[in-house]
Amino acid sequence: MLKRYPTLRYILSKAGWYFLTFIAAVIINFFLPRMGASNPVDIIMAKVGAGLDTQAAIEKEESYLKEFGLVEVDKDGNIIRDESGKPVQASSFKQFIRYVTMSLQGDFGTSFLNYPKKVSEIILGAIPWTIALQLPTIVLGWIIGNVLGALAAYRRGIFDKFFFPLALLGNAMPFFAFGMLLVWLFAIQMHLFPAIGGYAGDLIPSFSWTFISSAIYHFILPFLSIFLLSAGGQAIGMRSMCIYELGTDYIKYAKWLGVKEHKIIFYMFRNAMLPQLTGLALSLGGMVGGALITEMIFSYPGLGMSVLTAIQGNDYPLIQGCTLLVTICVLIANFSVDIAIGFLDPRVRAGQGAK
Amino acid sequence: MNIKALLRPQTLLAGALLCGLISCQNKTGGSKDNAGAGGFPRKETLYMAGFQWGEPNTFNPLCDWPAFPVGGNYNLMYEPLMAFNSLTGQMEGLLAKSYVKTDTVISIIMDSRAKWSDGTPVTAADVKYTFEVSKEYPAAPTNYVWNHIGKITQDTVTDADGSKAERLNFYVHKERKNPLCVLDYFTTVRIIPRHYFKTLLDSLKDLSAIQKLKIDQNPVVSGPYTLDTYSGEKIVLKRRDDYWGKVLFQDRLPNPKYIIHPIYKSNEAFSLSLQQGTLDISSTFIPRIWVKQKEGVRTWYPKEPYFVPAAMSMLMINCTKAPLNDKNFRRAMASAINYKEIQNIAFSMYSPDLEPGLILPFGMEKNYYSKEDADKYGVRFNIENAKKILKDAGYTSVFSSDGKTLEYMKNAKGEKVPTLFIKSPAGWTDWEAMVSTAVKSMREAGIDIREGFVDASVYFNSLPTGDWDLLLHAPVPEVTPSQPWRRFEAVLSSRNWKPIGEKMNENQGRFNQPGVKGYNAKIDSLLRVIPSISDEAKKVEAYRALNVIFMEEQPTLPLVYRPEQFYEFSVKNWENFPNEQNPYTPPQIPCFGVGIKALWEIKPTAK
Repeated sequence: MLKRYPTLRYILSKAGWYFLTFIAAVIINFFLPRMGASNPVDIIMAKVGAGLDTQAAIEKEESYLKEFGLVEVDKDGNIIRDESGKPVQASSFKQFIRYVTMSLQGDFGTSFLNYPKKVSEIILGAIPWTIALQLPTIVLGWIIGNVLGALAAYRRGIFDKFFFPLALLGNAMPFFAFGMLLVWLFAIQMHLFPAIGGYAGDLIPSFSWTFISSAIYHFILPFLSIFLLSAGGQAIGMRSMCIYELGTDYIKYAKWLGVKEHKIIFYMFRNAMLPQLTGLALSLGGMVGGALITEMIFSYPGLGMSVLTAIQGNDYPLIQGCTLLVTICVLIANFSVDIAIGFLDPRVRAGQGAK
Repeated sequence: MNIKALLRPQTLLAGALLCGLISCQNKTGGSKDNAGAGGFPRKETLYMAGFQWGEPNTFNPLCDWPAFPVGGNYNLMYEPLMAFNSLTGQMEGLLAKSYVKTDTVISIIMDSRAKWSDGTPVTAADVKYTFEVSKEYPAAPTNYVWNHIGKITQDTVTDADGSKAERLNFYVHKERKNPLCVLDYFTTVRIIPRHYFKTLLDSLKDLSAIQKLKIDQNPVVSGPYTLDTYSGEKIVLKRRDDYWGKVLFQDRLPNPKYIIHPIYKSNEAFSLSLQQGTLDISSTFIPRIWVKQKEGVRTWYPKEPYFVPAAMSMLMINCTKAPLNDKNFRRAMASAINYKEIQNIAFSMYSPDLEPGLILPFGMEKNYYSKEDADKYGVRFNIENAKKILKDAGYTSVFSSDGKTLEYMKNAKGEKVPTLFIKSPAGWTDWEAMVSTAVKSMREAGIDIREGFVDASVYFNSLPTGDWDLLLHAPVPEVTPSQPWRRFEAVLSSRNWKPIGEKMNENQGRFNQPGVKGYNAKIDSLLRVIPSISDEAKKVEAYRALNVIFMEEQPTLPLVYRPEQFYEFSVKNWENFPNEQNPYTPPQIPCFGVGIKALWEIKPTAK
């Protein structure tokens, strides 16, 4: 039926696969955190139970197990116990069903460690910062890195000799080391930029110029710490791709034909771009997971730290909420790139049409 | 500012993106006068940090771990009846003026001047409600008080000046007989307004529904500060100019108009902010604090040990497992640990020299400490002595041919002793250093022991179940009226005995199992009587007896003294913080106990 619409068929078949991937990811996201030996209530008890004696601690623990739906309860809301008096644990399957039903209703549950804060509230509070930090860094790093990489490959000479080792260095340097170096140099030694925070300590977020300028001022070091390194990485990849493209017959032929230089660069750039585009999609999808290391070095607001503490504390609802978000974003980004490549790359189109 | 001009292209892009952020921040009531204007004057704002890690979850005092300053022992918003002064060992009045203690009942007189922020007086009914709410709702956070309180009654007495005052009588639990713990509750239970919470609870009849409320809008509090605004990055408190308690301070208000608690994401941020003067006071472990002195960072003492020791970090020992069930083996370990090196290298010299036993030889506990006992029964670091104890108990250590590396050890029967591991959270660098230092010298003495660093969640999970050989822990670090009894209870008590695998919240090493051969009933009976002994000489005698048993049996291995809090402050923006020369309050961050008095005494630094 769809034979006459190869593009639509291509999109639908991709969408089908992505949907299956999504289901699998949701299942893994749910069960993986629960496979560890420790449970979230133990970690909470370490926090609230330190001064309690044993009996009081047991009572408290049971009230949490019940509140979080980790034990079976009868219809009066009492905990069901086995012969030895210990609470019967709720089966993972039951918890999974409840998680799926609630998620479908748009309720991602209440965080254990940040009880009674809603998972959605935590994510919504942090995600704008994460996007504000990551989106410009990834996009600008990608654009500038690729342009520089292509130029280096095409121009060679001094530019390449100077630029390539620099890019290699950037690519090889770990984020945290570079971030700390920036803090040390620009914040501690030169006092040019603030060392920590997303905005000045004496401000509260508002639509005022004071706040916005402060946020921009605080944005510069974290931005540079990711931007310079990711641009370097992109440039290296792009440079190799371009060198490969430059050796191909069509470029040589175009040169013989005397095609204008900028036209040749454009051809080369377009072809070398395709794998880079997939890379961009992956990093854009993954960015909502947060830039943990940057957040830690600069005490910058964002989702990364919430994800880390959630994982360390077995905060299942928050882990699930965050991984679901990452899953959806990665899948959407990839899906868009698949579709875009379908349109951009004649070979993919041709391949689909021939089937 | 020309730097900013240079970066215009990014400026525009980032600016556009930032617009999205602003709408997503938490805004609370009372902040409107600041919103937009932005900023809290530096001269009127005190920055303190170290109590809130991550998102503020709630400001509801009926939750178990609400955000700063509602949870924990902070006296800024909700106040307790009294506060404990660890310098003088005295209880100081707050909502209650005074207390009278007998063996069976402790009575307090309410301060009739106390008022809630909505103008209603703080009464005995509020106190009774706070304690008794858990009778109706067992999941309420104050439930534990009934472990040690039998009942609470209320009456009226005539005050010294002839006016009527409300009195509350707390009857000490008849079986537990522990008035010390009741005194602790006076300082740790924060009184909540009955008229506010009773109305809520009566209308919903469901505590867990109430616990979901954040109570972050105009809370009814009695303390000197109230919540102004908060976000994932900071909590802002604003001074209450109608605070009733100014009568306790010659009608003065605290000097900082705002208290801001920034929320940092790594330990380095505290050190950096203190040195840059963007943070005024902090309670985190910062190594080598003396290097930071030139940047205006100060501590209680200007030199070693910098902090006032008040608790102990110790290695808990699983006393059910061979060879750790052998007291000779435990004493050999105690003799094989290089305490000085732990103190100097792992703990940045933040501890005085360690004395044997479980009683601190200084401060409030000094009276109970006996140097004579420590010399007679305790063991100190001495590798040769450790080797001798091991040899006498029949253990043989097998070293490599060059005599430097320990290969394994054998017990008296000639069986190989399995390698022991010290469980400790991975990534807690100061803790890791303590464990590694202890391991190093114990191996030199021929004890086959290794570091066992695990994820913090695994560590917390196994602490109460006893699933370890040894484990690094700092039991009950708070300074309360019931110390050092609480420390002994935490280490020696068999009252709630549970086998390994089940959870015990004290004596996690399962020392002194009841009902088996070798059970020493004297330990538990001493632990039961000490809290109700009022005769000081008898108390000293009882503590000495308990400490001797501890030293002989060595059921845990104290490594180093640690402060109640790492009390560090910067004098760049505020001065006159209490310190050794000017000890007007104990070394506490001014949100704790009597430490809040410092808020009235600190002044903007003269520049």
